[in-house]
Amino acid sequence: MNRFAEWLATTPPSVYIQNHNDWIIPLIQSIHIVGIAVVLGSVLMINLRILGWAGMDQTLRQTSSRFAPWVTSALYLLLATGILMVIGEPVRELVTFSFWLKMLLVALSTLIAVSFQRKLRADRQPVKWLALATFLIWACIIILGRLIAYDHVWGSWSPATKA
Amino acid sequence: MNIAAFLKALEATAVATKIRESLYVFPFLESTHVIGLALVFGTIAIIDLRLIGLASSQRSFKRIYSDILKWTWAAFALTALTGALMFITNATVYYHNFYFRAKMLLLVLAGINMGVFELTLGRKVESWDKSPSAPPLGRAVGVLSIALWIAVIFMGRLIGFTTTRAAVAAPPSNSVNFDDFLNAPGPPPPKK
Repeated sequence: MNRFAEWLATTPPSVYIQNHNDWIIPLIQSIHIVGIAVVLGSVLMINLRILGWAGMDQTLRQTSSRFAPWVTSALYLLLATGILMVIGEPVRELVTFSFWLKMLLVALSTLIAVSFQRKLRADRQPVKWLALATFLIWACIIILGRLIAYDHVWGSWSPATKA
Repeated sequence: MNIAAFLKALEATAVATKIRESLYVFPFLESTHVIGLALVFGTIAIIDLRLIGLASSQRSFKRIYSDILKWTWAAFALTALTGALMFITNATVYYHNFYFRAKMLLLVLAGINMGVFELTLGRKVESWDKSPSAPPLGRAVGVLSIALWIAVIFMGRLIGFTTTRAAVAAPPSNSVNFDDFLNAPGPPPPKK
């Protein structure tokens, strides 16, 4: 992975981003944060509907279909900006414990969301606590995303401290 | 007390010192700040898109507004608190940072934008509550709100790129990290 990251850092798109680091990286990160906001806001609204704290004039199904397309689009935006960040700073991203744990949680939350949608469409009662867990998982995803910059907090678990 | 002394006093508070000396607290504050601002933007965008008529246009505006805005404010409180705690760790540097000032200005503008809405269309919601989009002023407020909040996020990120964390009195290598929870030997000092 180390070697791959170092190779990636020598490719033209990576070099381009590194040379325009002053504004490209903060710009991509900001777009990434906007995408996160769309996902987290949507997950919050679905959770509030499940708990009966908001949107009670709509069914859970209506609430879910209101937000699902926005979440899907935001996830593609997050994937695209995320890939650009990896290309721009491969070693900083890939050689961290936080990044890989984050990817694991992203995969987990996507699986949960897909199964939640399937059950809802099949008119079966979805497992509600899983939807609630999604919010917590997303909070952890955000924390881990920030911790990529502070990977040394993991001590010897962080490959960055060995480098 | 002049402003420079006030900023120095903020930096010298026990809370600010504790945050600076910890390896964990600043990243934790930053993460919580991101969670808070994601909720602020994520929820306020729902209201703005309803104003513009791009989403939830069949639902009553009042209903959406009263359902959501309290969560926006709760998230804003969390974001402001974590922001303030980060500010005091390095108050002088942030205070003089261009992007910090721009961000505060944009926040004020977002507040004024909201105030304008509350004092005009907000007072006669009944007359347009069920229409798929707000009157022109409301649509303008919605567009402006989304633009201002995105700009706030961008400025916030630029602050992180143009300021360095305050130098700590005790190097972070002396403080605990994840290894200490697992009784592993101490780590090498973190890289800059």
